[in-house]
Amino acid sequence: MTEPLLRVRDLKTYFVTEHGSGTARAVDGVSFDVQPGETLGIVGESGCGKTVTSLSILRLIPEPPGHIRPGSFIEFEGRNLLTLEPRELRAIRGNQIAMIFQEPMTSLNPVFTVGDQIAEAAIVHQRLSRRAARTRAIEMLRLVGIPDPEERVDHYPHQMSGGMRQRVMIGMALVCHPKLLIADEPTTALDVTIQAQILELLDRLQAELGMAVMLITHDLGVVAGSADRVVVMYAGQVVEQAPTAALFARPLHPYTEGLLASVPRLDAPPARERGRLHGIPGQVPAATAWPDGCRFHPRCPYAWDRCRAEAPPLLDAGGAGEPGTHTVRCWLLTDPRRRTPHP
Amino acid sequence: MTPALVDVRGLVKHFPGERRWLGLGRPRAVVRAVDDVSFAIAPGQTLGLVGESGCGKSTVGRAILRLIEPDAGRVTIDGQDVVALRAGALRALRRRMQIVFQDPYGSLNPRMTVHQMLAEPLAIHRLARGADAERRIAALLEEVGLDPGFAQSYAHELSGGQRQRVGIARALSVEPQFLVLDEPVSALDVSVQAQVLNLLADLQQRRRLTYLFIAHDLAVVKHIADHVAVMYLGKIVERAPAPALYAGPRHPYTTSLLSAVPVPDPKAQRQRIVLSGDVPSPAHPPPGCPFHPRCPHPRKDARCRTEPPALREVAPGQLAACHFAEQPL
Repeated sequence: MTEPLLRVRDLKTYFVTEHGSGTARAVDGVSFDVQPGETLGIVGESGCGKTVTSLSILRLIPEPPGHIRPGSFIEFEGRNLLTLEPRELRAIRGNQIAMIFQEPMTSLNPVFTVGDQIAEAAIVHQRLSRRAARTRAIEMLRLVGIPDPEERVDHYPHQMSGGMRQRVMIGMALVCHPKLLIADEPTTALDVTIQAQILELLDRLQAELGMAVMLITHDLGVVAGSADRVVVMYAGQVVEQAPTAALFARPLHPYTEGLLASVPRLDAPPARERGRLHGIPGQVPAATAWPDGCRFHPRCPYAWDRCRAEAPPLLDAGGAGEPGTHTVRCWLLTDPRRRTPHP
Repeated sequence: MTPALVDVRGLVKHFPGERRWLGLGRPRAVVRAVDDVSFAIAPGQTLGLVGESGCGKSTVGRAILRLIEPDAGRVTIDGQDVVALRAGALRALRRRMQIVFQDPYGSLNPRMTVHQMLAEPLAIHRLARGADAERRIAALLEEVGLDPGFAQSYAHELSGGQRQRVGIARALSVEPQFLVLDEPVSALDVSVQAQVLNLLADLQQRRRLTYLFIAHDLAVVKHIADHVAVMYLGKIVERAPAPALYAGPRHPYTTSLLSAVPVPDPKAQRQRIVLSGDVPSPAHPPPGCPFHPRCPHPRKDARCRTEPPALREVAPGQLAACHFAEQPL
């Protein structure tokens, strides 16, 4: 196996809550790798810690109220990002690791032209002259499929549609040819035909530039179409991790199973010909008070005494590939006969 | 066929462009938000109204209830003409038609308890008071799957799914026959979305409700709707029974929309049609077929650029507004 590009080990990012009522353990012991050139999907619902994980990698967590706990470890190309000096960190951020966000309107600066905003990273990191950076900005706009780039380079964000702004964001992120792109819900705010355009663009650019992508999303459909491997998060932890095909063919964690059953599907028979959606009973607990034992047990149809008392570690699920290819945080792996739901 | 409960004919809503220069200059172009929309919904059935942002689907829902005044067209609910009604009679009819909004954070009054929110419509329509009202509020909460203890909670103390249940209970409190559901699950996480969709299906069956279900998510609509209407730039471009529309879409826009929905199955090898460009502004719709600049149909020709296609029946019960609906993509 090649050396991973990014290694995250036992990442814990906690927040002190406003009312002093406790500590929100938003990310609580997360570990995963990103290989060079691959797309890793990180899936989960609101509050599972997927965005805090990505912000922690770039050390963009506001401190206070947040802090990354000692013992956490984030290694990018052999360097621990958590111990870097601010100057060293700035040389990586926006240069070798870039990020795009969900809201293309609020993440672009309304008072600068899109050309200036794309050029900024090239001027800072690659010491390009203004003129060269402007040429680079035009190239980037062309690369991300914006028509009339020579004219558009002088436009402001408000003159563009949502899909175009997301293209500009991608152009900004890729201007220094990063090795890792973190895309946090890049298509959630977009209409489905525009989403298709942006996903296709990301696929194409990844193939052309050979970068790795961390695709953070709540949409299992987006992950199924784009990711090589998937990490499923619940309540601040990784609950299942597997190659995409294996995860969808054989979801082993009851949460993954429930999530897949909850999605209304276009490839299912229409209403009236089929039953109800399965859904997951209850709701995600608060990050200040994760349940004891397995954090999913109050919503789990299979839970038994052990799940309430003892927190499961990530267990190897076997299957194809070397050990650790498919891991699941669930006691069912030690006792598969219990995989029959309670009435 | 049973007569329709909701009948909409030729609905039009144009928003005037604002005047430039502090209201003194030349007015901007009129936005044709809804342009000659017609459909009917039989009692106990669900019509899914789908389309992308700005296509006019929410405006249709609001114009039907006269939350905004339509400019033209006829809307009848159970035989009563909604558009012609005066304020008093309209208020009485509102008991029979209600709406649930998308944003469970913005549509509940933050200063009211759940109890107050449910008691208010009962009082306004003089349906119940005192102990009778208490009983009805408790029954409503139970019906939407909320613990009666939530009655004294404020909106900020509830999760998104719980708020949406309150919104549904509030709409049901006056015992309507017809509900406009405006993106009722799109702000919710998928596990919670499934719970609320199941609740809506149960309520419909138990109370024999008629739904206009407005959504952008075609998979969600497939799950709940009997009929589907697809809107583009203020017009319905295709309308059909759900099974026919999903199995054999006739308008290239419907085909493209369906092909763009991500399916949670990595083995699904699908032909994804990626439309070029953005939706044009409804203030300046293209001449001819409004979809022609983005249309991927190989046979598109000069007629598409000049002659607006009429919405016509191309298969039993299936209507499409495309010159080439007989040769779908």
